[in-house]
Amino acid sequence: MKTLIVDLTRCNGCYNCQLACKDEHVDNDWSPIAKPQPDTGQFWLKISEYARGVLPRVRVCYQPVMCQHCADAPCISVCPVEGGIYRREDGAVIIDAEKCTGCGACVDACPYGAVYFNEELHIAQKCTLCAHLLDRGWKEPRCVDACPTDALVFGEEEELQSLIERAEVLHPEYKTNPRVHYIGLPKPFVAGAVYDAKNDEVVKGAILTLEAKIPGTTYTGTTDGFGEFTLRDVSPGIYTLMVSAPGFDVKEISGIDVTREVDLGDIPLGE
Amino acid sequence: MSARVPEELDGDVRAYSVDTAAERTVTKTIGFIGFNRDSNSVEVDVREGRLIRIRPLHFDARYTREELGPWQLNVRGRILGASTKSLVSPLSLTYKKRIYSPNRIPYPLKRVDWDPDGERNPQNRGTSGYERVSWDEALDIIVSELTRIKERYGMSAVLSQSDGHGETKLVHASHGCTKRLLDLLGPSTWQHRNPDSWEGWYWGAKHVWGMDPVGQMLTQSNVIPDIAEHSGMVLFWGCDPETTPWGFDGQMASRVCYWLSDLGIRSVYICPDLNYGAAVHADNWIPIRPNTDAALQLAIAYVWIHEGTYDQQYLDSHAVGFEKFRAYVLGEEDGVAKTPDWAAPITGVKARVIKALAREWASTPTSIAHGNGGCYIRGPYATEPGRLEVVLLAMQGLGAPGRHQVKMLEWGLFGDQNDLSAVANPPLPRPVVFPSVMAANCGWGPSGAVEDWPFVPKDLIHDALNSEHIEWYGKTLARTPTEDQFVKYSYPMEGCSEIHMIWTDSPCWITCWNDSNAYIKGLLSPKVEFILAQQPWMENDCQFADLVLPVSTKFESKDIAADTMNGSVAALIYDDQAIEPRGEAHSDYEICCMIAERLGLLDKYTGGKSVDEWIKAGFDGSGVQDMTTFEEFKDKRYFVAPTADDWKDHPVGLAEFYADPEGSPLSTPSGKLEIYSERLATMFPNDEERPPLPKWIPYGESHHESLEHPRSKSYPLLLISNHGRWRVHAQHDDVTWLREIETCKITGPDGYGYQPVWINPADAKKRHIKHGDIVKIYNDRGAVLAGAYVTERIAPDSLSIDHGARYDPIVVGELDRGGAINTITPHNTTSKNTTGMAVGGFLVEVEPVDLEELRQAHQEAFARPYHAGAGLCVERVIDKGGRK
Repeated sequence: MKTLIVDLTRCNGCYNCQLACKDEHVDNDWSPIAKPQPDTGQFWLKISEYARGVLPRVRVCYQPVMCQHCADAPCISVCPVEGGIYRREDGAVIIDAEKCTGCGACVDACPYGAVYFNEELHIAQKCTLCAHLLDRGWKEPRCVDACPTDALVFGEEEELQSLIERAEVLHPEYKTNPRVHYIGLPKPFVAGAVYDAKNDEVVKGAILTLEAKIPGTTYTGTTDGFGEFTLRDVSPGIYTLMVSAPGFDVKEISGIDVTREVDLGDIPLGE
Repeated sequence: MSARVPEELDGDVRAYSVDTAAERTVTKTIGFIGFNRDSNSVEVDVREGRLIRIRPLHFDARYTREELGPWQLNVRGRILGASTKSLVSPLSLTYKKRIYSPNRIPYPLKRVDWDPDGERNPQNRGTSGYERVSWDEALDIIVSELTRIKERYGMSAVLSQSDGHGETKLVHASHGCTKRLLDLLGPSTWQHRNPDSWEGWYWGAKHVWGMDPVGQMLTQSNVIPDIAEHSGMVLFWGCDPETTPWGFDGQMASRVCYWLSDLGIRSVYICPDLNYGAAVHADNWIPIRPNTDAALQLAIAYVWIHEGTYDQQYLDSHAVGFEKFRAYVLGEEDGVAKTPDWAAPITGVKARVIKALAREWASTPTSIAHGNGGCYIRGPYATEPGRLEVVLLAMQGLGAPGRHQVKMLEWGLFGDQNDLSAVANPPLPRPVVFPSVMAANCGWGPSGAVEDWPFVPKDLIHDALNSEHIEWYGKTLARTPTEDQFVKYSYPMEGCSEIHMIWTDSPCWITCWNDSNAYIKGLLSPKVEFILAQQPWMENDCQFADLVLPVSTKFESKDIAADTMNGSVAALIYDDQAIEPRGEAHSDYEICCMIAERLGLLDKYTGGKSVDEWIKAGFDGSGVQDMTTFEEFKDKRYFVAPTADDWKDHPVGLAEFYADPEGSPLSTPSGKLEIYSERLATMFPNDEERPPLPKWIPYGESHHESLEHPRSKSYPLLLISNHGRWRVHAQHDDVTWLREIETCKITGPDGYGYQPVWINPADAKKRHIKHGDIVKIYNDRGAVLAGAYVTERIAPDSLSIDHGARYDPIVVGELDRGGAINTITPHNTTSKNTTGMAVGGFLVEVEPVDLEELRQAHQEAFARPYHAGAGLCVERVIDKGGRK
């Protein structure tokens, strides 16, 4: 069974994957696996990008999302055509481009928004894992081949266990049993900068302790040479931050509501 | 050469291929440096005469790993290895869209109201439409005009614009085939590239550390492995390693950045925008107001001097003039101590952050990364931050382990094929030889200037066209030695004519240079009797030409190439033809051959060689001709020169100068780092804009582009114009798949793809600008429209817009819809006596526009045909029934 690993810690946002997919599937007919997609408007692999944080502590997260080739694919269950959408032995979920009657049920059924409707050809279309190339001996789909940083990895599930163990799936609550694995999905972070108010100096090496109201959830870190800090992968909740540094009274900031990234700005000590 | 029957060019390619296998595959390079060394090797699959796909070349497809000898760096257990897969950029992957663009010029076009035997109507350039003419008619016009102009004015009346970046071809060279032909007729006036890319280094840093030819630290041998071993911090100062390398080297720089982070080396980005490198790699971002870096640098020096945390001993043995600099920094010269508190309001960087940066820098070996510096060294008075960088590096022991200036692109650009010197080397392990294809070059060469032949620096062309006489310093070509900066030149040169004809094979001045609204004014001058352009696409300057010739892309001809800038492997590529030329297109070389033939100069022009013979000559002179045979090279489609066994033996960067400044002097007059330049003091004794030692110069005679100047009351924002994320300068603006990306274009309510301009939320709110609004960016030189991208990724009081968008005039020379920001960049050169261009860190204002109101006022402009996916298309200039 093939699997696809998406490592967001290595995704530099070049869009090669989204674009290689277009290069393969616009103006090329790979029936019955896939008919051409229109020149614009469909994204069988779609990158979403998010600027996270507040100046100057801003990072951009890029998230490539393609058909998740779910083991319990809702598109398969809603397809009214016998064998219209099927799952192959290698795990690829394929909409048969010649059997499709264009009812559009799968487009609505996919919670990941991965299925597109081609108005001109009157069919539904999506990522095929480049099955037409795999069947011709290619090692990997176009997106993986085009990736310059190994942010996309493709291969046998058994051989990629060590990566899968570090990964999670997108939206497990959809309960479709997706077979694409993500490393480094964005999680809330708490950031800021600590400074010595009296002397107008950054405070390097201040110790940060972020604690949830309900005991048991604690994150720690230290400020860097610019007095800045980012506490990563914080579970949603209400937190209190304690900032301590030699020569200063401990500073406490309570009521930090973390649902997504939070930047506390410049935190003065010794006022 | 016979004319081919033209196919009907259809911009919407709808021919489906029903077979899965390609009929043939060719190997090509698709980098955009434009000449000599290339990158981005790919395999191109073709079926039934159409391009099926473009995919990365796997160098190990036809050679074993043993034959390739890919290098590997292992530092503290973290490995960086040469990539045997070509790490192509998205610009190369999507190149199919450029070949089949609806903006390809299908056949020769003549401006409808330009009649070489009657009225020429220069005032209508940029407005008139075009009509189809045959190749015969076009060539007749060219020959007749060249003859007429030569007789009446002499060949110096012809301005040859034939330089720069574009498709990298050798025989069918994108730039310079035209100049080579003109050279056979007599001394034409050459547009000398000025050298854009290195302004602050060339006109500034060179005077501190030499470093011919361009003033960057070109001795890059083994600098990246050394940084990995010894540096604690790398400052990416105006550097975007995730963008600028794309078109020239591919994406190896990205892997380097991840590796440095894995090693725990701190990446600090100093730039007004959270650029695409900062977005994923920055440990810290210092958002600095555009073009205020010199103040930051001086304040850093102040902290080191004040706290005694710099290497005085090194300065004693390796530098001259530090005492004068010290006095200036401490305020002994002008009464203003350059403290962090002084620099903070100027730079927008908090004083405590400046202090922290200075201390972190002093406490750990620190290198500075560039590609090549962007608006940090391309603004007004860029000589000052350029020089100050070298001074700061010197104060911390430049050349010691971990203390370098590192280039993140153009790896090995300045080396010649067998040059084993440090200058030739990229900062990564080198091959046994760098294949070179210059023996096949039929176009522009970097050394092209003939002594005493007339020329005008590219950034003074508008002044040349708009005035009677101009003077400047320097030949301004990249390879010219520093001494030439003290030589004055003039236009027209003694005994030469003014310009009366322009022949361009690089028609992108408008969207790339300085104050192109002034350039446009020059193009409309009746003094310019004939403008001839040749280009694959109807872009930019082509809209002002009287005759436009369709050029084929590199996919439509065969050539030879060397992929030697990717950083991993060094390959010679048989750059075969993939498809037939589109429409009536010919390559630049073929066009010049047709003209040469009519002038009776064909043999002279071709050197008696066929294209295949030129390609063979390229192979014979490549440096690898004895490592394989031409037949095997063609059969395998490429050859890879293996990694040199002794790559580690090259001294790292400036290590030899560091160890022994007397024995390994710099190419400065004293052989040392000249923090105070006696030569500048002698040559330009009263130059307040480039004094003998580097200073903070907010404004002066040449530029009023500072928030400290009263002009900022009308234009209170500082704008940077970056190297495009989704373009290489003026290229790729029509690629539909790129234009769908949110940072590439913002689609207005009118369906037009506007160029995004980044604006900080606070600045946007003040002006009632929301994300996605269409806005007007303006100053007293004109205005451009853009789409507002409201983001935390840009500092307050600043705007950022990528340069190179296609010029789409609403009012010619005044208001542009496409977002070609260079129409309003500063007019004057870097400073009074320096002939660089300044295109970043200049004053503008921005406001929302009422598109409907604009459309009512300019109905014709807004009604032009527009391709929803690709934007401007050639159809819009073709005048089907007389004047537009």
